[in-house]
Amino acid sequence: MEAAQRSHTADANWAERIEKWFQSWGTVLVALVLFVIFSLTAEYFFTLQNFQNILRQVAIVAVVAIGMTMVILIGGIDLSVGAVVLSSAAVMNSLLFNEVVPAVPAIIIGLLAAALVGFINGLLIVKAKISPIIVTLGTMVMIRGLGQMILWINNSWLWVRHPIFTYIKTETIGSIPVPAVMMFVLYVFAVIMMTKTRFGRHIYAIGGNERAAHLCGIPVDRTKILVYVFTGFISGIAGIMMSARLSAISPGVGLGLEFEVITAVILGGTSLAGGVGKVEKTLLGAIIVAAILNYMTIKGISAHYQRAVTGFIILAAATLDQLSRGRTSS
Amino acid sequence: MSEKLNHRTILRMQGITKRFPGVLALDNVDFSVRRGEIHSLIGQNGAGKSTLVKILAGDYPPTEGDVYLDDRHVAFGHPRDSRAEGISIVYQELSLLPNLSVADNIFLGREPGRNFVIDEDAILDQAKEVLGQLGIDNIDIQQRVALLPLAQQQLVEIAKALSYKPEILILDEPTAALTHDDADRLFTILKRLKEQDIAIIYITHRFKEIIEICDRGTVLRNGKLVSVLDIEDTNEEELVETMIGQEVETFFRQEHQEAQIKEDELLLKVENLAVPGKLDGVSFELRRGEIVGITGLLGAGQNELARSLFGVQEHVTGIIKRNGKAVHIDSPREAIELGICLLTENRKEEGLYLDLSVAENISMPSLRRFLSSNFVPLISARKEKEAAKQFIDKVNVIVRSAEALMRTLSGGNQQKSILARWLLRDLEILVFIEPTRGIDVGAKMEVYRYLDNLAAEGRGIIVISPELIEILGISDRILAMHDGCLVQEYERGEATEELLSAAIQGASNYQNRNST
Repeated sequence: MEAAQRSHTADANWAERIEKWFQSWGTVLVALVLFVIFSLTAEYFFTLQNFQNILRQVAIVAVVAIGMTMVILIGGIDLSVGAVVLSSAAVMNSLLFNEVVPAVPAIIIGLLAAALVGFINGLLIVKAKISPIIVTLGTMVMIRGLGQMILWINNSWLWVRHPIFTYIKTETIGSIPVPAVMMFVLYVFAVIMMTKTRFGRHIYAIGGNERAAHLCGIPVDRTKILVYVFTGFISGIAGIMMSARLSAISPGVGLGLEFEVITAVILGGTSLAGGVGKVEKTLLGAIIVAAILNYMTIKGISAHYQRAVTGFIILAAATLDQLSRGRTSS
Repeated sequence: MSEKLNHRTILRMQGITKRFPGVLALDNVDFSVRRGEIHSLIGQNGAGKSTLVKILAGDYPPTEGDVYLDDRHVAFGHPRDSRAEGISIVYQELSLLPNLSVADNIFLGREPGRNFVIDEDAILDQAKEVLGQLGIDNIDIQQRVALLPLAQQQLVEIAKALSYKPEILILDEPTAALTHDDADRLFTILKRLKEQDIAIIYITHRFKEIIEICDRGTVLRNGKLVSVLDIEDTNEEELVETMIGQEVETFFRQEHQEAQIKEDELLLKVENLAVPGKLDGVSFELRRGEIVGITGLLGAGQNELARSLFGVQEHVTGIIKRNGKAVHIDSPREAIELGICLLTENRKEEGLYLDLSVAENISMPSLRRFLSSNFVPLISARKEKEAAKQFIDKVNVIVRSAEALMRTLSGGNQQKSILARWLLRDLEILVFIEPTRGIDVGAKMEVYRYLDNLAAEGRGIIVISPELIEILGISDRILAMHDGCLVQEYERGEATEELLSAAIQGASNYQNRNST
């Protein structure tokens, strides 16, 4: 029947299998190796308190990275996340500080505002067909401006003063800091959504072959817009966590967040071309970056070097991503 | 006379085998061509013709085997090597640059001139000369190629190939878009080339043409050499049977499935469907249990017709009635909801998710069916995999596990997976564009069986294909299209390849009433 024959030799098969395994588990391997090296070379690294530090440090980036993973999966990008974190935090805390509404409505309004930004992004990208980089670059600048305006009205910065935020900042649940618990819960939800719902499946389809997805009857436009809305919303949640962590919202909050987030996503193995990637691996990517930065801090390496290392990681991860893609696509 | 001894042999390909990952495209094929003959390469899609010819053109080397030109061993690393050796090829997909003029296209890459400056006058003169030699006098050589009708573009492509003064000219489906008159003109040119001792390798699906102008034919099936024939000694039916390996009657439909057509159950009625510039007011019906075949030359509007039924065609006017009710189909989603599905001809580009598993590919339009329960909108992996496996078996996709990545499957299996996808979706109307493109003969038969069974189950099937033999074999009714219009409708048994061929070329003698 089928005129098919396997033309591999035994050697090729072996090399192929190793490469495939590395693509799935490579990140985990890297994490473990780093973990061991760090623990052995810095006494303070392997302590509960340090792990709690790392978890607190990573929580915000990791949470936003959920949305960013989804956006990159459908072949887009969202540079406005940092601005949305700032502005949603500004909205929430401004309402609270000026005692306009109680805590819960204030937070909800902040989240809605964040989602709205996502909706605007989605609309412009999908319906007006403007490239995601340009749209989210524009919203990034615009929304940061709006956020800074809210702060300016409130005399440049806002104190964060609500028991909810104090709770998030200081408490732990079974020795895991609350922000990290929030992060884990959100990730569980995200993994279920991506692997077991039609929405998640559609995201992979659109990222893999948008035309085919359209021909399968998948609501491509609607799904893409929802992804951007979700990313805005989750940046709003990160705004809550940011408020808790900082105790005061200043105009520079969230600056550069998008790049930390994108680094985590790429390091987690999500392809910038779209269609390939897993949310849980993004979490691992974020933790690796946070651990590296944490280690450098422990070792007293200056913040400038840390920034250089982060940049290097982005380049290395992106290069590896491109190389591995080049091989499988032949 | 053994080929090796024939003094007129200019090309000898011996023991050619070509392997691609997962596919054996050619298996120990011998192929030789003599000077001054028109030699047809015959075989269905996927038989290996294109592969053989691409090896000759220098696109890639054979995995095994040798090529001899004039008894001299040659190996091509690049298409320009074969061109330097006197081999010129005209592919079906045109390689002209649409924004350049005819003359510029002909001399692309070897513009006459000195010191970086192109000699414009020389280009025009030489282009005129080349076209003149071919007897083509009605094409404005300064005209931008994009503005020429497809038929003239093909002629320019041929002129370009000839301007390299080849000893071997390869033509791949040269008449796909040509009218009867243009084709005749082409044949006159080819006969003239014969007299100049040029060897012509001619690939076509039109058996009439093979009989008309070819001297010999080499038949391939599933990558293997079947036979080398003297065309004088054979006829169309024998050619087809040699090509498919069995009798025509049993290949396409098992039995004459007339009884299953429900005359008064109209699944679809199309009235005056039009797309500006492509489709000019087509009307037809599709009944339950029927297979309607639509054929025409390239660009006759059949693809636009199919796309209109699936909501992926722009600027559509006209009425579509589904089960008697007028509907608007503006997106694939709406089409699917109306029970219509479309399998396009570009199954890889438009159908496959290479980085998802086979099961995920197959289940994609049907996810709603695999939810764990009505309250919990989560996909049950078990249900999904079971259903996918069922259809993987039904359609005979050869794969180790349903979880394997689509990327790892061979082309034929990938195509079958798309079929499995829509069978699983279980819709009433199926529209297939070139359903057996790129599939080997054995798999083709399987596809025809499915179409048969699907029709017998009470569905309505529309098949669009350029292969007249295929359309004649499987259709209950045939719609012949030309230039955006439906020119003739035939019931099963009324049409012949000759009539169909005439109809799609716009000739006036395609009505069976007047012929014997």
